Amino acid sequence: MRWLTKISLRLRSLFHRAHVDGELHSELRFHLEQQIAVNIAAGMPPAEAQREAMRNFGGVESLKEECRDMRKVNWIQDLGQDLRFGMRMLRKSPSFTIVAIFTLALGIGANTAIFSMVDWLALRPLPVQKPAQLAFLGFSLPSNSGNGERFDANFSNVELQDIRNQTGKIFSDVAGYCFGGVAGDTTSADGLTVNGITKPVQNVYVTGNFFTMMGIRPLLGRLILPSEGRVAGANPVVVISYRYWMSRFNGDTAIVGKNASLNGHPVTIVGIAAKGFVGITPILETQIYLPLGMAAVNQAHVRDFMGDPKVRRLLILGRERPGVSLEEAQAVLTVVGRRLLKQYPREEHESALHAYALRPPGIMNGENPIPKAAFVFLTLAGFVLILACINVANLLLVRATVRQREMAVRSALGAGRGRLVRQLLTESLLLALFGCVAGIIAGIAGSRALTAIPIQTELPLLLDFQPDWRVFAYAFTAALLTGIFVGIAPAIRASRGNLNAILHEGDRASTGKRQRVRGALVAMQVAGSLMLLIVAGLFVRSLQGVTHADLGFVPQHVLNLTVDPHEIGYSAKQGMSFYRGLLERVRVLPGIQSASLAAIVPLGDTIIGDGLRIPGRQLKKGEAQPNADMNEVSPDYFNTMRIRILRGRDFTSADSETAPHVAVINEAMAKKFWADENPVGRQFIRASDPRNQITIIGLVKNSRMVDLYSPFDECFFVPIAQSYSSSATLQVRTIGAPESVARPIAQLIDSIAPAMPVVGIRTMTKALSGLNGLFLFQIGAGLASVLGLLGLTLAVVGIFGVMSYTASQRTHEIGIRMALGAQPEQILFMICRQGFYIAAAGLALGICAAFGIGQLLGDFLIGVKPTDSLTYAGVSVLLTAAVLLSCYIPARRAMRVDPMVALRHE
Amino acid sequence: MSKPTDLVQGTLDILILRTITHEPMHGWGIAQRIQIVSNNVLQVRQGALYPALHRLEQQGWIRAQWGDSENNRRAKFYSLTKAGQKYFEKEQANWERLSSAIGLVLDAAES
Repeated sequence: MRWLTKISLRLRSLFHRAHVDGELHSELRFHLEQQIAVNIAAGMPPAEAQREAMRNFGGVESLKEECRDMRKVNWIQDLGQDLRFGMRMLRKSPSFTIVAIFTLALGIGANTAIFSMVDWLALRPLPVQKPAQLAFLGFSLPSNSGNGERFDANFSNVELQDIRNQTGKIFSDVAGYCFGGVAGDTTSADGLTVNGITKPVQNVYVTGNFFTMMGIRPLLGRLILPSEGRVAGANPVVVISYRYWMSRFNGDTAIVGKNASLNGHPVTIVGIAAKGFVGITPILETQIYLPLGMAAVNQAHVRDFMGDPKVRRLLILGRERPGVSLEEAQAVLTVVGRRLLKQYPREEHESALHAYALRPPGIMNGENPIPKAAFVFLTLAGFVLILACINVANLLLVRATVRQREMAVRSALGAGRGRLVRQLLTESLLLALFGCVAGIIAGIAGSRALTAIPIQTELPLLLDFQPDWRVFAYAFTAALLTGIFVGIAPAIRASRGNLNAILHEGDRASTGKRQRVRGALVAMQVAGSLMLLIVAGLFVRSLQGVTHADLGFVPQHVLNLTVDPHEIGYSAKQGMSFYRGLLERVRVLPGIQSASLAAIVPLGDTIIGDGLRIPGRQLKKGEAQPNADMNEVSPDYFNTMRIRILRGRDFTSADSETAPHVAVINEAMAKKFWADENPVGRQFIRASDPRNQITIIGLVKNSRMVDLYSPFDECFFVPIAQSYSSSATLQVRTIGAPESVARPIAQLIDSIAPAMPVVGIRTMTKALSGLNGLFLFQIGAGLASVLGLLGLTLAVVGIFGVMSYTASQRTHEIGIRMALGAQPEQILFMICRQGFYIAAAGLALGICAAFGIGQLLGDFLIGVKPTDSLTYAGVSVLLTAAVLLSCYIPARRAMRVDPMVALRHE
Repeated sequence: MSKPTDLVQGTLDILILRTITHEPMHGWGIAQRIQIVSNNVLQVRQGALYPALHRLEQQGWIRAQWGDSENNRRAKFYSLTKAGQKYFEKEQANWERLSSAIGLVLDAAES
């Protein structure tokens, strides 16, 4: 029953504190009286007896405090007391409080915003049941560069069945799926027509067991059943994702059971998937799901989607059985892999089958740049927080000096040193906590602003930077560390003061040492902000470089509109006649210089390519078949894009389906295959169309296709009439503003083919900011600049604050100096000199730090070295100017001091 | 030993427990009793006594009750709980073992 006594005692001390304290008081009082009585009995006069007893007894209050400590619950009361007192102190100096909370909110907000991005891109588990058990399969490939794993993760349906049958020991379930639409293997988008309106969708074809394996339930209706999807074309059903249901159909429940069509093929909407399920690649939102067999209908050009072991379009997921070790699993997979390779040979006959953990952001072949980018930006944000902390620590140090007398009085009244430190730490933690709340709000606003940036892409990218518990935990931990970091030094300093000295000292209590600590902190701020600014400068210069690089085409005055007749079920023949009609009618619209079609937009979401065979050229043994990027274009393309034709001619309408096949190639391709000879008139054969020999009729200048920085790839152009692409972008070169022709063209398309969705209406200049274009450069430069500016602001505020304080502390000294004949300029110089030393130390430190972090940046910078001297010099000059300016203002104020006023200043 | 020895914590605990084994006593009484019984060798100062009493009470070894003192003043009397009795016996045994062991070592060193 001892614990019961203990608890009741503690509860009593907690809730009847006054009573318990009263008892303590009477108990000690009784002791004292006994002592007095003994003293009197020993013959002392009563007054002396009492004095002697009191002297003997020692500090009553500190003894009481010690007894209270024995109650164990004291800290709760102390905490309550400290919190109340801390709140009172913060309220008492609102300007200090607001500045400190605002500063911390900037630091914590920057971290929260960046962490919420990292969380979404790399940390949040996939929205399925027990995501840690999921793995995807792939044949490993030798990784040629970097540290990322490379693999061939494409399997055929036949291979899927074999794998499922042979891996029962290690996988409780095996499912296959295949992306359709823009993310799929073809460039064409898929269109879902409901109530006569067609819109492009991102779809995924899944095996029947997909949803049960993921542990996803339907919100409405049903999901795809295990029995479905085995036969090509059977089970024409569609399951819609919750997000898509909400965004396109406003959550209309009547949608379930409706007839719809996908690319003109009738399907029935049977259900809505559970709310949180955004697919297994959350960054690319899956909007609708169909049974695997439906993929065969949609990929009519593939002869036998379900039965041909060489049609490898599926990704395979396995759910690992609990308790199966990695070695066991690998042993089974190695055997299965060897068998598969023997039965259905691949190019990589030497490689082994592996299971790879399925983690966000999904299946990524090769190096994953996210962890590195996350590390860089979290480090930068961490520096911003440190700068903010230094500012607040400096403020608190000043307060600690001011409050030294208060602390001395407290300790004279019986407060132990630990108790004082605790109280001061509570105050700084309170500050940090408020800063945390404000910071989370700022961070959410920041990440909202980030997601609001329009990305020039047709992919349904899902950037859901909603904070989850990980983000909150991160922000809270940052705040806790911040509170301790900013509070501990001032707390210890304030509690350490020598009682006697402080109580007798005047207000001029500033020692040289304190100034040095503050100076060192400010130098660190200068260093940190220099580093942040250098990084920002490097990112900005990298962006400038790619922005002003020669693209090989002229993006100005060009408007893009993408259509895909396939989405409403047009055949190739219907599509081609639609395109011909469209071009004819667009060309005669007012304000149009030229118009053309292209399957691929430079720096867009997709690229296509093909293997090549060149007659008369033998492959060396072991040499892989060469390939090249390609584009399917209409006549007048090179004129519209202003890609210079160096030799030969453009396509004409005479290069039709029935005419001999022709191509135009770029310089890189000419150089690779025909060196310095004239390629016009030469011939090659595409691997996907071996029957038609293609004659080269023209040579064009290299132009950007895939990205902005790699060496130019070999590329060839073929007439869209001879190599039909259902998805094509109409590009028009305008005389005036390109946006102005968007509406007339859209109306024209609607009049030719009503219900045909038109997407990607944007100027070519804007289209350059796509995912493969400038987007990442812009995001990187934007983030780095924001962090750099935050750092600069914090550093300037910090230096200004410390210099002002120093100058005001030295008012008395300055007065004496001036009374003794010092000139104002000398005073100015004296104050500025200190700032100059700080700046110099900070710059030296900051340049070293920037060199350090620069090592990490190499991969993210194009056309600028991480040690770019121009950036370093420019930023150093900028920062020195900022530091000197923030010294100059307080120094000028000090210079104008009236000696008489200064000497009386106390 | 000219100066009264300061009591190590822990030692003070068993002295207190021993002192109140037979009857409840108040703090002043406990201090006086220890001093008298030890022939003025052990002096317990209030700075050590009261925190120790409060700690023992919190741990449930002793219990406090208000009563009237010998000169009819209200005083806080401490008495041993059952758990405290057991704890004391255990500690006493420990102490005896320890002191006899120290004795053995000292004797051996002399010879």
